[in-house]
Amino acid sequence: MYMEFSYLDFYSIISLIFFSTSFVKNFDQKKENIFFNDDYEHYPNTWDEMFKNDGKVRRSYKFLEKFLNNSSFDSIKEKQDFSDQFFMNQGITFTVYDNDQGVERIFPFDILPRIIRPNEWDTIEKGIVQRVKALNLFLKDIYNEQYILKDQIFPSRLLLTNPYFITQMKGLKTPLDVYTHVSGVDLIRNNDGKFYVLEDNLRTPSGVCYMLENREVSRKLFPSIFPKQNVSSVSSYPQVLYNQLSSLVNKTKPTIVLLTPGSFNSAYYEHTTLARLMGVELVEGKDLVVDDNFVFMKTATGLQKVDVIYKRIDDEFLDPLVFNDQSYLGIAGIMNVYRSGNVVLANAPGAGIADDKASYVYVPEMIKYYLNEKPILDNITTYQLGKPDELDYVLKNINKMVIKKTDGSGGYGMLMGGNSTDEEIDNYIKQIKKNPTNFIAQPTLNLSTTPCIIDETLSPRCVDLRPFAIFGGEGIKVCPGGLSRVALKKGSLVVNSSQGGGSKDTWVLEKNQNVK
Amino acid sequence: MLSRVANNLFWMDRYMERSFGLLNLINTNYNSALETGDYSSWIHILNKYLNISKNFTTPDNYDDTISIIDYILFDDTNPNTLLNIISYSRENARNVQEHISRDIWLSTNKYYLYISKKANRSKFKKSNPIKFLDELKEFNLIYLSSAYVSQERGSAYCFMNLGKYLERTIFSIDILNFKILELSENNQSLVESLFLKNLIFLMGGYQLYVKTYKSIFNIENIIEMIIINEFFPRSVKYNLNRITQNIIELDQYNQIIGENELVYNAKKLQNTLTYTTINSIKEIGLNSFLFELKNDLNNLSQLINQRYFSQL
Repeated sequence: MYMEFSYLDFYSIISLIFFSTSFVKNFDQKKENIFFNDDYEHYPNTWDEMFKNDGKVRRSYKFLEKFLNNSSFDSIKEKQDFSDQFFMNQGITFTVYDNDQGVERIFPFDILPRIIRPNEWDTIEKGIVQRVKALNLFLKDIYNEQYILKDQIFPSRLLLTNPYFITQMKGLKTPLDVYTHVSGVDLIRNNDGKFYVLEDNLRTPSGVCYMLENREVSRKLFPSIFPKQNVSSVSSYPQVLYNQLSSLVNKTKPTIVLLTPGSFNSAYYEHTTLARLMGVELVEGKDLVVDDNFVFMKTATGLQKVDVIYKRIDDEFLDPLVFNDQSYLGIAGIMNVYRSGNVVLANAPGAGIADDKASYVYVPEMIKYYLNEKPILDNITTYQLGKPDELDYVLKNINKMVIKKTDGSGGYGMLMGGNSTDEEIDNYIKQIKKNPTNFIAQPTLNLSTTPCIIDETLSPRCVDLRPFAIFGGEGIKVCPGGLSRVALKKGSLVVNSSQGGGSKDTWVLEKNQNVK
Repeated sequence: MLSRVANNLFWMDRYMERSFGLLNLINTNYNSALETGDYSSWIHILNKYLNISKNFTTPDNYDDTISIIDYILFDDTNPNTLLNIISYSRENARNVQEHISRDIWLSTNKYYLYISKKANRSKFKKSNPIKFLDELKEFNLIYLSSAYVSQERGSAYCFMNLGKYLERTIFSIDILNFKILELSENNQSLVESLFLKNLIFLMGGYQLYVKTYKSIFNIENIIEMIIINEFFPRSVKYNLNRITQNIIELDQYNQIIGENELVYNAKKLQNTLTYTTINSIKEIGLNSFLFELKNDLNNLSQLINQRYFSQL
């Protein structure tokens, strides 16, 4: 079951407090099972992934209940230690600097999986396919005929003020008309049990290696229960990505490379993993050179022509002759080669105009406009502060709002009205009033919670979901899984890895299966 | 394969081999100092291999020895300590993960995690140094065996081997130079036999030496074994044969036809060693012979650079 999917940028949304991997350190030799005592503190007015409001366990989580009932603290601690060591040994780490001393830390992983039922996944998959299709058509349109502007569905002013709109892309036809080759759509489940789109990520979405490695470690942690649950496989993601990238050029064995900013990038492990699993070269800008309007990589035995570049660097750094002239990460002249059709770039430069927070508001209308369909996955109610009436409403209800910059990411530069001091709110309002169109606001959400093992017991923590989609010659393929990010601080809504979030493995159950 | 990748592979193995040599050096000198009671040899090691001549007063007791070993293993400011050498090797490995086997990456990463863990530095101070050094050496052996059994044969393996054998050759030449020099400064008659025995221990060739020379420890036999014994895996001749073989295989993997300057020079050097005997070395003089040999190796190293890494 490989489906069309989309994926959210790893460094988006809400923030998180750094979670110490030693959270199980207090496990002792207690033998009684207290995982299922009455202390599971439901967040008010919130959907819990495992427990119903009456405290009963949802059917898809019964196996997990049984597992926990039969597990001692020691065995759980052993599994947690195993997973920590696994990530550390694999080098799936990031560096934290303290007094100029670099200390390597892992991205915290909670061993209990998050379960998605087949019918839920069906909706997610179809919704993401629909959304990515519409966003791709939007990009094709906005860089060519611009019908959506002429029909006044999408306001022209948003183009004029948007730094992600790249004029060098105007009039350019991309291979197979694909712009959004790899995408991530951040989803949250609200208290009505439905999934909503929180954000689209169409530039350099990351996090997919955590999806792959989380599964790898889950299979080792739960050898007796994993095979019985009929969990959809995510392992073919690299092959699907390779095939989709290959389909973009009319060549039997194209030379595909993955362009990384380098080993100091926080997603470098992901870059190396994907290159390794796809069997392609991992290149840095300095490994490539433009000659005679083609791109070549510098091999040990001479120059070799490159056909497709899966780029994991921001557009701004791609070509110092066109964008940031201080960039050492890119390749001088590559945009000319791209415009000549002599190399394929994935994702297409300029895709950011479609995943910008200001554009997000218009995605449901894009779906209607380009596909004549009703959105399968709804947006969160979003107010555009550039509109005076909406600004007025938001300011009056600021305690119930989350306000974000339209070009922000990683959970930075936003205001959570309910958790901010009067002074913080006043300062933020001053910023808004300088340029209201740069801000949007959304009602504070009740993200669903998922049980995590915290301090010797099960405790609910907020969670989101980032599935990944790949667009190419075989259409839009959504990987049946994704990255579930959890806010490990009690009560926090912030799940971003860049702000200390953790993750869980996401088990999408196959259809027509009997849960054992 | 990218030039940068080839260069990373080459240095990944060079650094790993260097760490192995350093561990052997510490181990042997520790034993040697215990037997003779002469701790001053540590100063030569600090000068030659750690490139420092200050800060350490002449060691004269066991505690000084432990402090010096602690420095050689764990100091993070000196680029030549084990900690830094392993971190360089690991950083090179990190950059070429798609070209090396998972086992190689895991063995390198685990080595780095072990040596960089602060608790293990404390452990060293509390434990028997030899036991601790043996634990570290096991990481090197796991790395070597992982590379041998799990790395695919091809250009990547050749670049790794070139790094490893070149470093090993240079180490053998340096250690011979260094130790013979050290010997000439001491009162030879008193400790010569013990000294030479330790030297051959350091090179890991004690067993072969005894089989070949029947426990007769003299300088000529040692030189012969380290330079021209073709069965001793740390001899100059053995390693030059491997270097030449890998240079030729690289051409084959990359379908490069015909002789070239690099192959020519490698074969020329190989032939020189083939027709070298202990008598011919004596005629030239050991110092001159080693000096010339090292020059030839540097030349070969430059040719490898020009041919494969010049696209950098």
